[in-house]
Amino acid sequence: MTGETEQTFIGASRTTVVEEKVILDEEYDPGFAAEIVKYGGRDVKTCHQCGNCTGVCPYSLKTKYKTRNIIKMCQLGLKSLVLHTPWLCATCYRCYEHCHEDINAAEVMIALRHIAIREGNIPDFIVRVSKNVVKYGQSISPSREVEVLREQLELGPLPYARPKHAKNNTEIQHIIRATNYDELIHISARPEEDE
Amino acid sequence: MTYGLFMGCLVPNRYPGIEWATEYLLNKKQLNVPTERIDDFTCCPVPGIFYSADKDTWLALAARNLVLAQENEKEILTICNGCYMSLHKAAEKLQDPKQRSKTNKVLKGVGKRYVGEEIPTDGRIKQYRPIQIKHLVEILIHDVGPEKLEEKVVHPLTDLRVAVHYGCHYLRPSENHQIENPNRPRYIDDIVKACGAKTVDYDEKLSCCGAGGGVRSHVKELADALTEDKIKSITKARADVIVTGCPFCLLQFDTAQSSLPGVNIPAIHLSSFVALALGADPLFLGFDLHNISVNPLLRKLRRGAIA
Repeated sequence: MTGETEQTFIGASRTTVVEEKVILDEEYDPGFAAEIVKYGGRDVKTCHQCGNCTGVCPYSLKTKYKTRNIIKMCQLGLKSLVLHTPWLCATCYRCYEHCHEDINAAEVMIALRHIAIREGNIPDFIVRVSKNVVKYGQSISPSREVEVLREQLELGPLPYARPKHAKNNTEIQHIIRATNYDELIHISARPEEDE
Repeated sequence: MTYGLFMGCLVPNRYPGIEWATEYLLNKKQLNVPTERIDDFTCCPVPGIFYSADKDTWLALAARNLVLAQENEKEILTICNGCYMSLHKAAEKLQDPKQRSKTNKVLKGVGKRYVGEEIPTDGRIKQYRPIQIKHLVEILIHDVGPEKLEEKVVHPLTDLRVAVHYGCHYLRPSENHQIENPNRPRYIDDIVKACGAKTVDYDEKLSCCGAGGGVRSHVKELADALTEDKIKSITKARADVIVTGCPFCLLQFDTAQSSLPGVNIPAIHLSSFVALALGADPLFLGFDLHNISVNPLLRKLRRGAIA
């Protein structure tokens, strides 16, 4: 059901669809705009739908998801519909540079991601990269091929293989536990429990 | 001021040649920019992941890196647009007393406290400013300068046609940092020209490589589709090489092209490019790890040198 509505609703340049859409009670969340502000976005209600953000957005031009319509849906409090759209913002901030109302649509998208994660919609790559940071202190897992080249270039070991890695990683894991990030995305941030 | 070198994750783990090139060009014999390695730096943390998922965690992890610079009395020098934006934004957010005390409560558990860089005053009241974050491009333009760079060039990269890719987070958001005019950037072009090469103009020069914000990890086909558009206009401009100041954009250009038929324009980091002009042996630049071979470029340079 959600899929179908998404197609017609976000399916985009046809604004008449947006205007004629009947908002059902269960789709409407009056506190949605305030929630976006809580997670660091600006007040979406000040958007006057000029569409500049969509015109400069690399993904709006490639897909059916248009920045302007996402913002419109936020204005209308259509939380469940917005949160079922994929994460397609490259955070390139071109929308910010072209917004008269200083909304910073990219930051709104970031706030929407925060909300989505708290609703349990956690993409795999967030978990995967976070696990790397917990384990290696870096977002990328080491590769043997690179380590061989590093030896040849006399660059010294990768951070995870340096003597102070254990201490640094304890700090990273402590921070991740202190902000409850481990519980938020369901990972373990203790060295002994990790595999 | 000595700079603390912030290598990030991607360079040491995927393109170590850039690490070599950066140290080569900044050292005493070359451009003489005082730098020091701070081994305890960890992930900046990557904005597409932590800034998207939980800003408090992102800020605390970034603040930990900033405290290391503070303890060592260093400014941070980054060679990655992602690290640059993440750390810059964090340093600015920490100017808010509320955010700072919240973050310091978390950092207390690891024995750290962020205050910022102490600035000289008449002595009665201590004053602090945010830890300064600099992009390699800023160093090459403001600390070294294109004229001095030009003097130091021993192998002018004449005849090379270079497509410069600035990368989003070098330019934007201009509310957080502004190295130069985000709509008319020219610093990297200036550096490339100082190395003796030509820069070419192409459509959508300021647009995204496609990889940012976690899109590369999340919907790879779409990221690649965006890269394809850029590559097409770069091909149209008859460029020999893409030069960028961001290793993540570099990774995207380098890997996405292998799935695109008929295009293979090598992409190299600004550090490697300048190092070549300063006379570095290409063998040390780690080009073997690139998916798209850099050899045609090197052959063209060799032909130029012989002629």
